[in-house]
Amino acid sequence: MTSMHIDREQSGNDVLLKVVGRLDTPNAKPFEASLMEVVSQTTGGIIVNLSGVDYVSSSGLRALLVAGKSMRTGKRKLALTALQPQIREVFDISGFSSLFEIT
Amino acid sequence: MMAVVLAEILAGLGLLFFGLKTMASHLQSATGRRVRRLLRSATGSPLAGLLSGIVAGAASQSSNAVALICGNLVRGGVFTTRDAIPVVAGGNVGTAALVFVAAFDFRLVVLYLLALVGFGFHVKLDRQPAWKEWIWVALGLTLALLGLDFIKQGPRDLDVALIAGALEAGLSPWAGFLIGMVAAALCQSSSTPTILVLALMQARLLGLEDAFFIVLGANLGSGLATLVSSGELEGTGRQLCYVHILVKAIGCVLLLGAWLAVALAGGDPEAVLAAAGGSGGPQTAISVLFLVLQLAGAVPVALLRGVTEKIAVHLSPPSVEDDASRPRYIHHRAVEEASTALDLSEQEGARLLKLLPNLLPDLDRGAEDYSPEARDAFWKGSTAIIHALDLFLVDVIRAGATRESLDIALQQQAQLETIRALVDTVHDFTGLVEDFESVPPLVFNLSESLRTIVLSLADAADGGAVEDFDLLIHLTADRSEMLDRIRRALAASAPGAEADSRRLMLATSLFERAVWLVRRIAVALRPPAIEDTAPEGDPARQEAPAEARLPHAGTGPRVRSAHDVHAH
Repeated sequence: MTSMHIDREQSGNDVLLKVVGRLDTPNAKPFEASLMEVVSQTTGGIIVNLSGVDYVSSSGLRALLVAGKSMRTGKRKLALTALQPQIREVFDISGFSSLFEIT
Repeated sequence: MMAVVLAEILAGLGLLFFGLKTMASHLQSATGRRVRRLLRSATGSPLAGLLSGIVAGAASQSSNAVALICGNLVRGGVFTTRDAIPVVAGGNVGTAALVFVAAFDFRLVVLYLLALVGFGFHVKLDRQPAWKEWIWVALGLTLALLGLDFIKQGPRDLDVALIAGALEAGLSPWAGFLIGMVAAALCQSSSTPTILVLALMQARLLGLEDAFFIVLGANLGSGLATLVSSGELEGTGRQLCYVHILVKAIGCVLLLGAWLAVALAGGDPEAVLAAAGGSGGPQTAISVLFLVLQLAGAVPVALLRGVTEKIAVHLSPPSVEDDASRPRYIHHRAVEEASTALDLSEQEGARLLKLLPNLLPDLDRGAEDYSPEARDAFWKGSTAIIHALDLFLVDVIRAGATRESLDIALQQQAQLETIRALVDTVHDFTGLVEDFESVPPLVFNLSESLRTIVLSLADAADGGAVEDFDLLIHLTADRSEMLDRIRRALAASAPGAEADSRRLMLATSLFERAVWLVRRIAVALRPPAIEDTAPEGDPARQEAPAEARLPHAGTGPRVRSAHDVHAH
């Protein structure tokens, strides 16, 4: 199992999460848990920096989808930033690019 | 002379096989629904099952066909292996009808029948809906009987003395048994070698004792032939083959035991057998032997179906495909009550969607994922459920539903067609992905994206809320522009890589079609939100995707080839 780190930073009302590692099956659950913890503990937006992520599988996408659904229900913003080109392609193909704000 | 005899027997066999096949296929078209209903009613008791099997076996003249229909009904969840055991056993008894017919002189009847069928075709009965299947059934029956007559008449010109001398010198009981087994294995039938035996007896080439052992060998041989021909079958399908063999083997053991018991008691078993024929002579005796052989195996197998089932399940445990192809909700007894039946069919349809992710590879899990064989079994299972669900809905409509129920049933039928298309598209996509020795990045992205979308559909089908369907509809929005861009880049790929480009383009097209079908299903399944019923302009009215309120139209993106992209 390849390890994954998530650094958390507060930026005004929003929370910035910087993810480093692979968003694969073993890491998807802890990633989803971290995201949901932020969703439940805060009221502002969440910005996920994916510059350190070079692999996303369906499990990683689903973790983002679960968090995205909760944020949508609360009419809150979940944005993704600094995607590597191959990760951007997965997001475009899966339709996630239209679901999240990507910068 | 020998060449003429051989030609007559071979022509007779050809006519018999063709006649039986024609009769069985048209009989199925004419009575398919009634046969299914007959077999369904067989679940009440072993005796009812045995009788239904006898009728089905006599009508189809093929115990294999009865076993095959039962196998499909078991896999379709209409009844269990335990219910099917007496039916399969009875199917063997039913095939004795042809052997009895062969024992009598029916030439005149065949000629009149042939005339009737010919006149029937002349007055175009084959073009009248009420008659068209039955006239073909009659033709099949006539040709089968004509074939039987050829077989019976064939050996009449042989040098009886010469062959009888050779047979007397060389045919021991075991040789006869072996000849019967081989002949049955070649014909895949026990009744055909028995009919040949009757023909040889008519020509006085075979005695009763020789015939007894050949018929016994043919009986066991046809059972073993079923096992060989069912090589690819697994689980439940194979269980019924073992039931078939058990019927044949028990019949052989009991009759052989009876023969030996009479001989050991100082009696003459051949005389006992001759007496069984009564005034009908040795040919009737062999027909009675064939019937008793089937009954001796079928009755204990049917009455002790619990023990039979244990043996069959032990020899062939249920496969992944068996489990995957068994509907969980629909049941033929529910057909009478339309609203309950439609609730059940809706749940079965939702279950199909929940099983859909099993058809796709999880490229992330690698070796821990299902094997391609298991995925193929899931696809076959889903296809079988779709077929069963389709028949169930037709039955609900035919049972006389109310106008409202009829509308729902028709909507469910349309939805089922979309699910069928999605299941097949996903299966084709998976086949393509599995064909790559090393999965290219584009295929990985397509596969994992489709998996995410299909998992979301499975979640939404599992009692999902309006928001889940809206999210799915949003996620499956049109992406043809982006996929066209990818396809154009592939078309411009380096020379020498055209074959790979074609496969990649096909993968994008299958992906696009699958996404479009998911969207169609999501739009159709989306429950109306409370806000949707609010008046126009009311702030409570949440904007649902426009398609969610439109009737379905179009056929979706077609699968594109490399040629299309170049033309574009």
